[in-house]
Amino acid sequence: MSERDFHPLVKQLLDGDITIADLPAELRAQGEEALRLLAAVDRSSVELPAVPERVMRALVRAPRRSAARRLMERPWLLAPALAAAAALVIWLGRPEPVATPAAAIVTVRFVLTAPDAHDVTVAGTFNQWDSHATPLVRTGANGLWTATITLPAGQHQYAFVVDGARWVPDPAAPAVDDGFGRRNSVLTL
Amino acid sequence: MQQDLGPNVALLAMQQGIADRLAGRVSPDIAALVGELGTAAAARGLPIDPLIQKAIEGSAKGIPFERVATAVRLVAMQLDTAAGALRNGGLAADTAAIAAGAFAITAGLSGRDIAQLARSGAPVPEVTVGLRVAGTLVALGVPPFETVTLVTATLQSGRPAGELLALPGQVQAQMAKGVAPAQAAAGLARAAAAQGRRGPPPARPQPPPHPEPPPRP
Repeated sequence: MSERDFHPLVKQLLDGDITIADLPAELRAQGEEALRLLAAVDRSSVELPAVPERVMRALVRAPRRSAARRLMERPWLLAPALAAAAALVIWLGRPEPVATPAAAIVTVRFVLTAPDAHDVTVAGTFNQWDSHATPLVRTGANGLWTATITLPAGQHQYAFVVDGARWVPDPAAPAVDDGFGRRNSVLTL
Repeated sequence: MQQDLGPNVALLAMQQGIADRLAGRVSPDIAALVGELGTAAAARGLPIDPLIQKAIEGSAKGIPFERVATAVRLVAMQLDTAAGALRNGGLAADTAAIAAGAFAITAGLSGRDIAQLARSGAPVPEVTVGLRVAGTLVALGVPPFETVTLVTATLQSGRPAGELLALPGQVQAQMAKGVAPAQAAAGLARAAAAQGRRGPPPARPQPPPHPEPPPRP
């Protein structure tokens, strides 16, 4: 049953304005189901899973509908919405329809394995190719470098800059000719 | 005699905007070249951001002037080619679609491929996403024919346009299993075409209405 299907009295029940005993008999089953759905929402904290070395993927796509508007219409949605937001954090690599591409923001994790590097950054169309703007952080002892940033939906080109001088395409991403005899990695969100 | 200063003011504003974006990032020679090319491109309805980005990229990578100039001119040509192809495909494209088309050309698609995607019948925003995805698929190694077939079938399948964005990942997943890029794309295209013949999934049936609630105390 979707949120739109609940009877107004059931919504009052979810709001806490009335109890299950206040519902007419024919609505009690629906009310119990709504309460059961609400109780089933996982409110525990969410930890991101370990990121495979070759992964460079979208983590979160911002919702396209106005959350504020939805909450104004249905304030009882707040509790499941909080849990849904947490669930979105681990909803990896699931692009949604792009009705308002300019407004969509995607969180992306860049990963490069470079055991011998002293310094790794990522430069691309999203940071004006500034090789100092987005440093990666060394995580662990196996030479894994990562950075997590938010990007607007669209198409981006980028490369890693190792030790301030060596431009390296992402081995886990598709790449195109950069026009200068090298390759740029491509990220389409 | 008074002259209409509007176009001149717009031209100056355009050049100043380009100069501001390039200030401190590229050499004066490159800035002048991009200002000239960008102003002409804007007058033809083309986006100027790809030109600015290529100039900044070349300078950031320490590329000599002549090679940066050649690359920026190439981008301008690709924008022209993309705009013409979209027109040939019957699409009144905006600058985002033209930029997406130019990227697809960079990746290896032709003007004819761009026109074919434009003829898919999808709205401009969906075609724009389709062009970006098509370029990404070609960059993954999918041949142009299979790329255009897959993206066109997906655009025409009635599925949400955002599903286009999942295609490169689906192809990569198949490639990880040892499937050739062309085969992977062909399989996905067959599935999309079958979906298109069936039509979009039906809407869920609505439950019967409930009686109006009694007035709240």
